Amino acid sequence: MLLQQLVNGLTLGAVYTLVALSFSLVMGILSVLNIAIGELFMLGGYLGFAVIARELPLPLAMAVAMIGACAVSVVIQKIAYEPLRDAPLITPMLSTLGFSIILQNIVTNVWGSDPLQLPSEMFDADFMVGPVRIGVMQIVVIGVTVALVGAVAYLVQRTPAGRALRAIAENRDVARLLGVSVSKTTFLAFAISGLLAGAAGVLISLHYAAITPYIGVDIGLKAIAVMVIGGATRVWGALLAGPLIGIAEVLTIAYGGSQIRDLVVYGLMILILLLRPQGLLGGARSDVGQRV
Amino acid sequence: MLKVRGLEVFYGPIRAVRGVDLDIEAGEIIALIGANGAGKTTTVRAIAGLATYKGSISYDGTTLTPNSAEFNLRAGLAMVPEGRGILGRMTVEDNLSMGTYCRKDRAQAAKDVVEMYERFPILSARRHSLANLLSGGEQQMLAIARALLSRPRLLLLDEPSLGLAPKTTTAVFELISSLRRDGLTVLLVEQKARQTLKIADRAYLLETGRVVMSGQAQNLANDSLMSQAFLGGATTP
Repeated sequence: MLLQQLVNGLTLGAVYTLVALSFSLVMGILSVLNIAIGELFMLGGYLGFAVIARELPLPLAMAVAMIGACAVSVVIQKIAYEPLRDAPLITPMLSTLGFSIILQNIVTNVWGSDPLQLPSEMFDADFMVGPVRIGVMQIVVIGVTVALVGAVAYLVQRTPAGRALRAIAENRDVARLLGVSVSKTTFLAFAISGLLAGAAGVLISLHYAAITPYIGVDIGLKAIAVMVIGGATRVWGALLAGPLIGIAEVLTIAYGGSQIRDLVVYGLMILILLLRPQGLLGGARSDVGQRV
Repeated sequence: MLKVRGLEVFYGPIRAVRGVDLDIEAGEIIALIGANGAGKTTTVRAIAGLATYKGSISYDGTTLTPNSAEFNLRAGLAMVPEGRGILGRMTVEDNLSMGTYCRKDRAQAAKDVVEMYERFPILSARRHSLANLLSGGEQQMLAIARALLSRPRLLLLDEPSLGLAPKTTTAVFELISSLRRDGLTVLLVEQKARQTLKIADRAYLLETGRVVMSGQAQNLANDSLMSQAFLGGATTP
């Protein structure tokens, strides 16, 4: 039934939102697509899994995944981005692609290429709200997403560091004239981006109760689609586009069959871009931030 | 206060500034005038720390490192860039907060913001609106107010009158001359030479990346060559 599917779609959409936010934090500020974010997300899933498999509490799993992904994200910034700051935009993008392949290989070597299953008794409790069945896991996924998005929103909108991020994204020269350090701000963007990707990785492995080393490519591409649909230059576009794509995907599986779900998701992306090239919330072309 | 010696700035292979010398004493308003493409903007961008250059710029006896605007600001050197440089996607309030970003004295900085609202009531009335939605004159007020909040001692203004109505331009020029009374030193880059020379103490005339004339603003305003070339020939009928 429809209402049930909407709840399921929101859960999946929540994860897309987090990963898309992770992409757009770096994209909005540096105009660089950090392709390795998909693998940071996958790595976060594995780190969280490793903690949960030892029957340690979920908050610890979240913390380990977030810190781990954040640390790798910062390494990516130092090695794959910072030395290529003055190179054409495609160059750092390719170096992050290289990083994503390396990460995938490392994880495959450590945990193997077969999917890992979550202990089935975990979070399988559920309850009925009217006619809708809501799993504890779904509450966890949506709740954690809302909390993280709220925290990022507070940081970006209300703190001096967040204002500095927005200033750099809008106009690098002006931000520098106001005393903002480009390298510190870039570091911050990569760090937050890693934290979000790591958290999202744990959430998706809860959602599917399984994880593979290839999930980063699948979800990563969808998150890029979500970011583009929301408007790549506007961080908050993901909040609208994430649930939208999640619901579209779940409804497609429920009523059309899972074999056409990617067709619908990417078809929707192409359709929206044809009608609104700047994305749903994107502004005019002129407010694309300068490159750092 | 500021000494520029042999300044050369390149855009790729093109030498946009070709050996400029400038001296600014504390408390002066110095005008940098010249036609489009003379190298005025490039010169102030280099001074502010937004470009790499050859030659030397020293501020209060210390030689500045090229391309280090973040550092220069903390030494008391602020700039309002050409086109005002407001952050249009932020509110007026956030723009002013960014003005205090570099300061450590948060409490005093907050008081200064309140004072700035008193000084520019129009900004106070529009504090929650996006800076993009302000008129050109209001945006210029915002840009200057924001620069003042970093507590500069030397303020670089790049074409503050650009795109403003004549009446608003007059108001902006009045504001600039009032800044001197607050003990601020100003380097004013302008194309509107006549109005600029009225409020400036001294002036430098730039042409194709070189200083071709300099001296007391009054003398430059009366110079016949100057008036023919840059003041529209108004003094020679």
